[in-house]
Amino acid sequence: MSIENEQHSGSSDATPGGYENKRRPGEIVFTLVLLAASIGLLWNAYGISGFEKLSAPGTVPMAATGVMVLSVLIILARTVQLKRVMSERLGKHILPWVVVIFVLMLGGIASLLEPLGFVPTAALFLIAGVKILARRGWGFTFAVSLGSLLLIWLIFRVVFTVLMPEGVFPEAEIVQFFRDLTKSGGK
Amino acid sequence: MDALMAFLTVFITPKLLLLSALGTFAGVYVGAIPGLSVTMAVSILISFTFSWDVYPAIALMIGIYMGGVYGGSRTAILLNIPGAPSAIATALDGYPMAKRGEAGEAIGVTTVMSFFGGLVGIAVLALAAPFISDFALKFQPRDYMLLAVLGILLVGSLSSGSLAKGVFAGAFGLVIGAVGLDPLTFTERFTFGFEALTGGISFIAVMIGMFGVSEALLQLHTVSAPVIRQKISRIVPSFSVIKKYLPLSLQTSSIGVIIGALPGTGGDIAALLAYDHAKRVTKNPEREFGDGAMEGLVAPETANNAAVGGAFIPMTTLGIPGDAVTAIMIGALFIHGLNPGPMLMIEKPDMFWFIVGSLVAANCFMLLFGLTGLRLFTKIVEMPKSVLFPLIMLLSVVGAYAVKNAITDVYWMLGFGVFGYFMRLYGYPLGPVILGVILSRLLDDNWRRAIISEREDLGRFFEGVVSSPLSLTLFVAVVLIFLSQIPFRATFRRLTRRRSNVKEG
Repeated sequence: MSIENEQHSGSSDATPGGYENKRRPGEIVFTLVLLAASIGLLWNAYGISGFEKLSAPGTVPMAATGVMVLSVLIILARTVQLKRVMSERLGKHILPWVVVIFVLMLGGIASLLEPLGFVPTAALFLIAGVKILARRGWGFTFAVSLGSLLLIWLIFRVVFTVLMPEGVFPEAEIVQFFRDLTKSGGK
Repeated sequence: MDALMAFLTVFITPKLLLLSALGTFAGVYVGAIPGLSVTMAVSILISFTFSWDVYPAIALMIGIYMGGVYGGSRTAILLNIPGAPSAIATALDGYPMAKRGEAGEAIGVTTVMSFFGGLVGIAVLALAAPFISDFALKFQPRDYMLLAVLGILLVGSLSSGSLAKGVFAGAFGLVIGAVGLDPLTFTERFTFGFEALTGGISFIAVMIGMFGVSEALLQLHTVSAPVIRQKISRIVPSFSVIKKYLPLSLQTSSIGVIIGALPGTGGDIAALLAYDHAKRVTKNPEREFGDGAMEGLVAPETANNAAVGGAFIPMTTLGIPGDAVTAIMIGALFIHGLNPGPMLMIEKPDMFWFIVGSLVAANCFMLLFGLTGLRLFTKIVEMPKSVLFPLIMLLSVVGAYAVKNAITDVYWMLGFGVFGYFMRLYGYPLGPVILGVILSRLLDDNWRRAIISEREDLGRFFEGVVSSPLSLTLFVAVVLIFLSQIPFRATFRRLTRRRSNVKEG
């Protein structure tokens, strides 16, 4: 296992990724995007109240965005001078296909959550997610994903009483059914 | 008497005691699973405790915080991957011990020392906070403003190798915090004409995205890596070992609590400084530092847990967080209608003493869970990532949605998750972003109050800064951060370089 690699990936809160004296694939583009966004935000902050007065609502936003622009300029000036890490490729070390797929799947959950409901959406996501990552048989995939969904549903409906969109899944009826069952069992 | 009752509430209410135990247990294990961090756990859980009463929510979250700071050391020892920033120094000597087959002993000593450090930190919090609160009432708006700037700058400069990246992250956080209607004049800020933005961006969505989703996405890179089997033998350390290291732990606890109490510095800096201190004062270690010296394990572990109590001092008395986790805790207190700052002690002293009680309870549970349940521990840590990370992502979605039942928050969370993913990859620290979001309002309000009271005159403002000893100290500290980057960074680099040498060797 390469611990060095994990550090550069920034996969721990303790160790931000990146290299101190080298540039990763796509780093210049990312810095340029940050610069463009910072300038856009500075312009927008100027539009709030301009240089009206020091206590105006736009003063702190202008100062903050100004600092963003300045610091990105410093970062950019430094980044372009650095040598690229030759052992890394954009498609493998920065944006592998599995990350792209999961981001799309998360976008999918967000758009299906309200129309379809939490339980079916979560089931679809977990089945697809576990299948892609574990690459095991369908029996394992269904058992693990539906089992963990049941656990999550019980914990969050019962302990945390979180209400999620019901959608097409008759969640309330099922809860009621079990309530009735336990009541009649109690009698 | 009221204070004592408030302190004891968590111990005499079975539900609260259970939640404290549950939180600590979860914290220890979340901290111990590689790829899961205490920041992630607290971020996601805050959203679920949103509808709870304040006491149960705080008991649970303090448990997770305390357990998580300790749990981070386990992955540091066993895998050389610090589970939390405060466990960086623990890996330096903990991992060499584990490689020798002494993981059990390392974990045992770490647990007892964390407990000891935790107690010292809490004791100082209980004794010092009421006085600091009184003192904080004398703070001028400009002092609060300077404190906020100082906090963001400290976290920004110390949490990554590049000051520019840290400063960028902090300023970005301030901008996120400013989105929406200005509370004083109702002017729209950064809304781009969208009505949905007038209410601002949900702090929880930002947090879960940055610490939950971005981390889970990064872990997908290594999802197929084989699970490492843990071999742990005897865990409870002998009394003679504890006695031997007690004097050192007392010194490093003091370092921990003082560093923790400084706004903007938390357990990570405390642990590194304590490690350095141990190296200086230990004349003849049984083993060299970096090669498995017990002193190198005792020092950072007592310091980072002592810093938890220390970090609650500026949090409860000034409303200024020490690091990302304390920033999230402040967010949680806001959500439950509390306003951390000097007025907390005056308006709600019970709440303060309840927090102290919860910290003590969590510290005791940490000792209990740290020394038991080895078999369960190895099972949980070996849980396959292919199941774990889809679950974390699903919980992140549920968490972001649950607070306001708004799908927009889920999209924000996703956006910040993807952005945070790239930030991590390119070496931008995320802690300052959260600190910026939390402190944005405080900084803005106090700047405006300060400058209005000086009749919009910058010259008079600086005159005020120079004539007040407190303001001047804070101002000089801010300037010094820019000027004196080198010694701090050199120490940090020296330690991390030593660590990578250890790894290679």
